[in-house]
Amino acid sequence: MQKFTKFLDKSLANILIFLMAFMVLVVTWQVITRFILREPSSFTEELSRFLLIWIGLLGASYALRTNAHLGIDLLSQKLEGFNKRVLIVLVNILVILFSFFIMVLGGFRLVQLTFTLNQISASMGIKMGYVYLVLPLSGILMIYYSLLSIVETLLTKAGGRIDRSYDKGLV
Amino acid sequence: MDISVLVLVFSFVLMLMLSVPIAYSIGIATTLTMLFTIASGPAVTTVAQRMATGIDSFALLAIPFFILSGLLMGRGGIARRLIDFAKVIVGMFPGGLAYVNVLACMFFGAISGSAVAATSAIGGFMIPVMNKEGYDKNFNTAITVTASTTGLLIPPSNVLIVYSLASGGVSIAALFIAGYIPGILVGLGLIGIGAGIAIVRKYPVGDRYSILEGLKKFLDAIPSLLLIIIVIGGIIAGIFTATEASAVAVIYSLLLSVIVYREVKIKELSQILLKTVETTAIVMLLIGTSSAMSWILSYENIPQNISSTLLSLTESKILILLMVNLILLIVGTFMDMTPAILIFTPIFLPVVMNLGITPLHFGIMMVLNLCIGLCTPPVGSVLFVGCGIGKTSITAITKSLLPFYVIMILVLLLITYIPWLSLALPEFFGY
Repeated sequence: MQKFTKFLDKSLANILIFLMAFMVLVVTWQVITRFILREPSSFTEELSRFLLIWIGLLGASYALRTNAHLGIDLLSQKLEGFNKRVLIVLVNILVILFSFFIMVLGGFRLVQLTFTLNQISASMGIKMGYVYLVLPLSGILMIYYSLLSIVETLLTKAGGRIDRSYDKGLV
Repeated sequence: MDISVLVLVFSFVLMLMLSVPIAYSIGIATTLTMLFTIASGPAVTTVAQRMATGIDSFALLAIPFFILSGLLMGRGGIARRLIDFAKVIVGMFPGGLAYVNVLACMFFGAISGSAVAATSAIGGFMIPVMNKEGYDKNFNTAITVTASTTGLLIPPSNVLIVYSLASGGVSIAALFIAGYIPGILVGLGLIGIGAGIAIVRKYPVGDRYSILEGLKKFLDAIPSLLLIIIVIGGIIAGIFTATEASAVAVIYSLLLSVIVYREVKIKELSQILLKTVETTAIVMLLIGTSSAMSWILSYENIPQNISSTLLSLTESKILILLMVNLILLIVGTFMDMTPAILIFTPIFLPVVMNLGITPLHFGIMMVLNLCIGLCTPPVGSVLFVGCGIGKTSITAITKSLLPFYVIMILVLLLITYIPWLSLALPEFFGY
């Protein structure tokens, strides 16, 4: 279990680093083709948008793992011991419900629908289902990480994983 | 008000109070509300689809790129060069280090695009130096915290890009240019208050530099400042779009910090990319779920209802703007700026547009308003980071913060009631 989680963390991080570096290259290529070669490349805009969807949504499961999502922690900071652990479990259950019903179920329906309708992207002509596939994928990871957080909270007496550091976010 | 609105508001507030992450709170509340109007199958598919399509925007790509270039530029060496340059300009007055701190925060905040980064980089260097010179620790921390927020108005600014999206497409270039005067006004206001306090408390006069030394410090700071000039100059001149400019910023800061200054080692790049992904993902999940929420808001005509309710209370533009500002100030004390912009722009923008306020003006007003909330308890990320850096506590610092709050609110009122301050520059450049 621990070995698998470690492997998963590492793979997820590496995939995200690769996607981010790739997105930098794609947009840089777009700037180069527009200004230096004077022949704007047509597929880079679409590709970079799709990469952003993948980075944003897959990255959201990574951010759940690192406990980085913004929240208002006044209650969780007040509580201690048993009550705090109950709250952490409750929050994780709510995250699991959202991840399951919206991201996995809704996302899967969306993927299915776009495959059936054979929706393809305007410029590169790839099936939109592949772009939306990130929804159920990220949803499954979110469920896994939330379950892990519940198990960790129940096993350890401390269970302080809900507290966030404040250097996250845009500001 | 019908039941679905109550469900939306009640479930959202309840989950926020339970410390459920804001992005998930928005998503769950939206889904529950949607179940009142459409069947569960299409509802979950719609929310999922809005989450993906809400992010699907070329303009949004500027956010990860400005985050990345901010992280690359946000190193100690660049902060130190900017501080030295600020010393040359304003260091020689009584209480000089206080002004140096503000000016350096403005430069660094603009370059890194992050108030938290400015607080830790500039504050981390300036607060100990000021402490040693006999300045009060809480004064030093208070001025750093408030000055750091100016970087969110002075471009390039990621929160303004978020607003551009939330408002349904106000030009990012116009927002960037509009941020200058308000951001600089806040900086000048903070310097003014700092000067008053410094003179009363007889804080020391800073160093004076010879012209030659000054010139050298200026030349040292140029490569960092050049980033702003390339990005903003390029956007104003119409050479780049904001997204292209952000990509240029990444390449420029990569060359500068890895090759020229050698502040960043190649090995560190993957961690910097991962940190960029993390911050980007936080923002994108918020944008995704709030895009679903804004769909249900307009489906239920909620902004129109709020607008007519407010307008039935009073038709006075002055009063309504005051009310909107008060609500945002309260929201800002609890909530981070990004979710606050995403949630309240679709609600308040129709209200103020009815009063003849332009979306451009409202965006600047809103960001400045929420900047104050970043420095206030109970939840204020910049304040928390600042207290850590300044080795003080929120209780101890509150009294020192009061004069700075007053000046920020004063500037907020100016920006609210004098649209010219936000609109003059964009108009001059033809937006």
